[in-house]
Order: sequence, then structure tokens, then C-alpha cells
Amino acid sequence: MSVVLTQEKKPLIRFDVQKCAFCKICELSCTKCHYGKYGDALSRITIIRKSPLMFRSLICTRCDKRFCIPACPTKALSYKGGNIVVDEKLCNSCGDCVKACPFHGIKLHPGTKMPLICDLCDGDPSCVKACPKSALTLIWLPEVKK
Amino acid sequence: MINMRYSGYKGRILRANLTNKKTSTIEVTDEFARKYLGGNGFAVRYIFDMVNPRMDAYDPTNVVAMMTGPFQGLNIPTAGKYYMATKSPLTNGYFDSVSGGHIGAKIKYAGYDGFLITGRADKPTYLLVDDDKVEFRSAEKLWGRLTGETQEAIKEEVGDPNLCVSAIGPAGENRVRYACVITEYRAAGRGGVGAVMGSKNLKAVAVRGSGTNQVADPAKFEEWINWYNVEAKKIPSLATGLPTYGTPALVASINNMFGALGTRNHQGEVFEGWEGISGETLKKNYWNKDTACPACPIACSKLFTVKEGKWKGAISEGPEYETIYAFGSMCGISDAGALIKTDSLCDEWGLDTISYGVMLSFMMECSQRGLVTKENTDGVEFKFGNDDILVNYVEKTARRTGIGDLMAEGSLRAARVIGGDSERFAIQVKGLEVPGHSARALRGMALGYSTATRGGSHHDARPTGEYAGASDRKAIEGKAPWVIGTQQMTTIGDSLVQCHFLERLLGFTLTQKFVDMINPVTGFGYTLSELVDVAERVLDLERAFNVMTGIRRKDDTLPRRFLEEPIPEGPSKGMNTDEPTLNRMLDEFYTIKGWHRRTGIPAKEKLVRMGLEDVATALEGL
Repeated sequence: MSVVLTQEKKPLIRFDVQKCAFCKICELSCTKCHYGKYGDALSRITIIRKSPLMFRSLICTRCDKRFCIPACPTKALSYKGGNIVVDEKLCNSCGDCVKACPFHGIKLHPGTKMPLICDLCDGDPSCVKACPKSALTLIWLPEVKK
Repeated sequence: MINMRYSGYKGRILRANLTNKKTSTIEVTDEFARKYLGGNGFAVRYIFDMVNPRMDAYDPTNVVAMMTGPFQGLNIPTAGKYYMATKSPLTNGYFDSVSGGHIGAKIKYAGYDGFLITGRADKPTYLLVDDDKVEFRSAEKLWGRLTGETQEAIKEEVGDPNLCVSAIGPAGENRVRYACVITEYRAAGRGGVGAVMGSKNLKAVAVRGSGTNQVADPAKFEEWINWYNVEAKKIPSLATGLPTYGTPALVASINNMFGALGTRNHQGEVFEGWEGISGETLKKNYWNKDTACPACPIACSKLFTVKEGKWKGAISEGPEYETIYAFGSMCGISDAGALIKTDSLCDEWGLDTISYGVMLSFMMECSQRGLVTKENTDGVEFKFGNDDILVNYVEKTARRTGIGDLMAEGSLRAARVIGGDSERFAIQVKGLEVPGHSARALRGMALGYSTATRGGSHHDARPTGEYAGASDRKAIEGKAPWVIGTQQMTTIGDSLVQCHFLERLLGFTLTQKFVDMINPVTGFGYTLSELVDVAERVLDLERAFNVMTGIRRKDDTLPRRFLEEPIPEGPSKGMNTDEPTLNRMLDEFYTIKGWHRRTGIPAKEKLVRMGLEDVATALEGL
């Protein structure tokens, strides 16, 4: 069985909780990159802080189980080239994928109600570039073969 | 959505009345935006129009303004802030406090330029703004709770971990006159905005928004960001000082180079225990990580943890320099662990750290001079250097138990109760406790504190230019125009709602660089002189409000200690600004401002020139 090269390794935007300063510049740069605007509701990465030291980054982790794909009743989601891809023609905005993701890596666009999932900005993630603290890094993990 | 010609604005202000639970919006017109800019300018205009200056600060008709400027929600460094204003229960005048926190951006994303909150709820309430939906929700279960748990409980209830909440602690509920408002771990600290919220039964304001903010000229704006990224690296404080140590970096230089670190209630200005509370010590022994205000790459805020000793386990974002001065040198305490512990308690209980520390140091001097005894102070001797008192009295002050009830009133009111000659060494101006930039070692701060709308605040006139040598700190000549210039700069900063740390990059007073930063965002096409006029207009309005509360030239003064006792030792030995010198500078100050020299009231001609005819009419006969 032949495997396409890009699928041998999967990307992960790794979050260093110790380095993150909670400036949320990543969220602004994500929104800017995808929509040319400044906001956070459209960002595919969200940083939350629950206590002085407890920070979390909420973003698609490309997990091995990919809970979102089977959860979709209209089969609008698929895994291609390291990304979860949404077929907007099939999506009915039910939000089941949002509920299925244990990493809170998916949210719905407040206007179109389409799922917002990290697409890695064509392999050069804007959030990683923008982070002034180098808390976000793009790494490649081995793909679990199915 | 209202369409505006200018960018950076949403074109509407939310007005919420807690008494009848009704909301409405006020339109922000192009003309209004251009005339008042945002934040400070917007708030002072609305408060001047809506609040009777003679009314008690706790009257339901008082307004709590929560404002943004054109810069919030964008990726402008140092603009991740929001602005709060009200009539202060501490100074009785117009008061504003600016804080870091994501809520400023959220207000924009929700589609507003700010909130004006009036009235008084019959039961504890919090306000939830979710785009166009505004709810008055019950906060009965949150009443009495600390600020951290309040924020988390509201996020839980709304079901959004990314919600932004600004909350008061028990200090605000109990109307401690210097109660603050906390967002995340940052404080709109000064002047008792939290107490006014408490008097309205308003526990918190929570905001989320699905919108965006935009700039007028994206290409020019991008150019400015690039310019900033290059130029900021050339400024040591922005490139290394603040990112490495944060504001505690100031302790060593202010103590050792300037001899201007107020010590033991300003009985001296050199603290022998400075090393224990210096930026270097904090970084070496307590630093855990850097944190930032939204969109700011400087990340000057430091998260400190205490790893050993008496206060092991304490954790806090801060203390900042001013807090180190207030808790440390002022109270004679050189154990940074106690400062970190108290800093986190003040945030949780909702107290302003500067006023609390300076209030406590005042009590300690009263005890030293026998004006208060153990019998008056719950059986505890208020001795300089006692860190248990520093830690324990946060809760007692917030709850107003025992002597905490008097401490909750602030040093001026406390001095009037304690009597004797204690008012002479109550380190306050217009009721507001003075922060850690010496009015004796820096001539500009003597005039600056005296004339500031807020009183003892380091964000009206700025000390930085005098530390940097841009203005001779000993000079009397030329000081009035210098102080006016720094006050104009901070007023524009507070209207954009931007931190003043860019002053070393953009200018200690207003320069073309400010204009070049503002125009690409807003599209105003301001000239420098128009920007200066905006600042003057806002400052005159603030002054007019204060004049209507009864403030006059006689109130533009300093604590007797500063006027009468020169600094006793150290690099600034012998320095102070005495009354004749202050009066000389005041004469010049009022003349340049176009205020009446005898009374300090803005003259009609000046107000008319600023386009404030209605204000001139309101001041007639005073």
C-alpha cells in the first residue's frame, strides 16, 4: 500500500504554557490571515486562562481519533493533507463536530455558522509567526497508519 | 450598525440603567469622535452631561463609564486596555482608571465603543453583554466572593471560557473608598471605581462579541506597525527593561540614583532594604513567567511565585513598581514574599494596592508618633516593617472590620478622624494617595500631582521624562509648560486607551509621532495642533467638572510634608518644592492653560476656543 508523503507525518501546533503570555496575538493574526479583519470570534485558535498559571490553547490537534469526522451527520468533514477539511456544500451547521471535539478545537463562524478549523495557513501558520514569545511551534509527528 | 466615516469606532455607546433594567444606545457621531477621540474624551463628556457634580459619588445617578478608544481590538502594541471613569468617592472629583484586560477588545467586538451604567439594582446584579443582547443577571450567589472566583463562576454560568469579566471584590461591595475593578489579573485600581460599582449593586460586567474592528488605511497602518517593530527595539526600556524585569526594574534606579523612593511614609526617600524588593531580586528568586496585556508583545507583567519562607505558596501577577513602593519601602518591608502575597490578596479582595499601602504606612506613622495606640488598632501595634499587618489587613479593610473600617476611608479622611497634626503626613493629593514618583525629587511631579484631575496620580503628569533627563528635574523655569505637555500626552493616551510606556518612543509630550499613529487607524487626518486641542478640551472638561464639585486653586497643593520637609538624606538630599515655589509654578501653569490665576477656573475665552460653549455657560457665576 502506498502512502502519500504528506500523510506520513502530521502537523501539530505545539503550545508552550510556560512561554505563553496570554497576549492573544495568535488569535488576532489568525483572524487577520483568514479574513483580513481584527477580531477573535473568527480565530481558529483560542487561548484561555483559568487561573494565574493555567493556560490552554484550543486548536485542532489533528488527533489520531478524529472524533469530529464520524460525528458529522452529513459527512462534510474529511482528513486531507494533515488538515480536517470542511465541505461547505454538505455542512448543515448542526455543530455536532464542535461538541464531539474533546480539545475544543472547533467553533462555528458566528456569521455563516460553518465550522472553523485550523488549516495551517498553507503550511506556514500565521499564529506561529506572530507569537512574540515563541510559545507556538509547528512540529511534525508520525502519522498513525490506519 | 451605524455607519461612520471614521474607523476604529462602532458608532454606539450602550447605556444601561440598573434601577429599571432598561438599556438604550447613544449614537457616536463622526463629529463627536473627532472632537473627543475616545476613552477619556468620551467618558468625560458623557459624565459631565449626565452626572450632577455636587451629588454624592454613591448616589444612584452617578455613572460608571467603561470605555474604549479607536485602538482596542486591533493589534496595536500597548493598547490592550480598557478605561473606566466615574465621580470618585475618594476625591469627589472626576476620576478615571485604565487597566489591561481583554474586555476592551471584547467591547469593540460586541459592537460598542463603551458602556455607561447608571442607577442602582435592588439586588446584586451582573451585566452580560453578548453582541446586541444585554442581560441584567442575578449576582446574589456571587456577592461576597473574591474577584478570581467571581470571574470563573460567571464564565461557567454563561458557558464560555473565553468570556471577559470585570468584577469587584468584597472591598467594592463594602464601599472601601479605594476599591478597584479586576479583569483577569489586571486592575482598574485607583479612585474607587469598584466602590461605585458596589454602591450600584453591580458585581461584574461580562462581555463577549462576535464582531471585528477595522482600520481606515490598512497599508499605512501596516507601515506604522513595521516602524514600531524596528524602532521599539532601539529603546532599551521597551526592548529589554520592561520585557525582562517589568516595572520593578525601577526600584534600583529610583532608590539609588535618584534617592526618590518614598520610605516609611516619606520620612525618607532612600530605603536601606531596597535590594530585597528590587526588580533583580524578584526576577532571580520569584519570577515564574511573563504575561501581557492583549496584543502587546512587550509582556511587561511578571507572574511571581514564592517558593520558600514565610509566604511560601503565594502567587501573583505583580507586584508592579508602584505596589512595591506602597507595600515595601513605604511600610518598611523588604521581604518580597510578603509583597507578592499582599498583591494577590488585594486583587482578590478588590483593593487598590497604592492607596492600601500608603494608607497603611500612614497608620504606621500615626502609631510611631503615638497618635494611635494598640487600643485603637485591634490590639495590634502598627509598626513599620511588620509584614503580618500588611497581609492581614487586606481582608479586614475589605470587610471594614475593626480599624479596617477607618482604613477603608483613605488617608485624608482617616487623618481627619485621628486628628493631631496627622494630616500633615497623610501622603495624598485631593484625597488620592500619592504613588512612587517623588514630588520632592522631581519638580514636575510637584506641579503635576497638584494640578492633576485625579490628584496623586502618576498617569496625569508623567515622571519618565524627568528620570530620562528630558526635563531637568530640579528646574523651576519651564516646568509649567513641561507638565502641561505631559498631561496632554497622557490624556491622548487615555483617550486612545493606550499604555504610556510608549512615551520614550513617541514623546514625553505630544509629537507628530502620535499623529502618525492615530491617523492611519481613524482616518481623521489630524494635525498636531488639532490633537493638542483635543487633549486641552478633555482636560478643561475634567477641570470644569471638578470646579463644579468645589475644587479651586487652594486644592491644587501637596501634602504639608512635601512642602515643608526637604528630603533628609541621599542623592536628592535637601530637595523639595516649598509653597512659594509651587505658587510661582501654579501662576505660570494657569496662565498657559487659560484658567483664572486666582481661582483655577477655566476662563470663558479658553472654553469657547475649545468648542465648549455649554461648559462656559455652566461655569458662569462660579
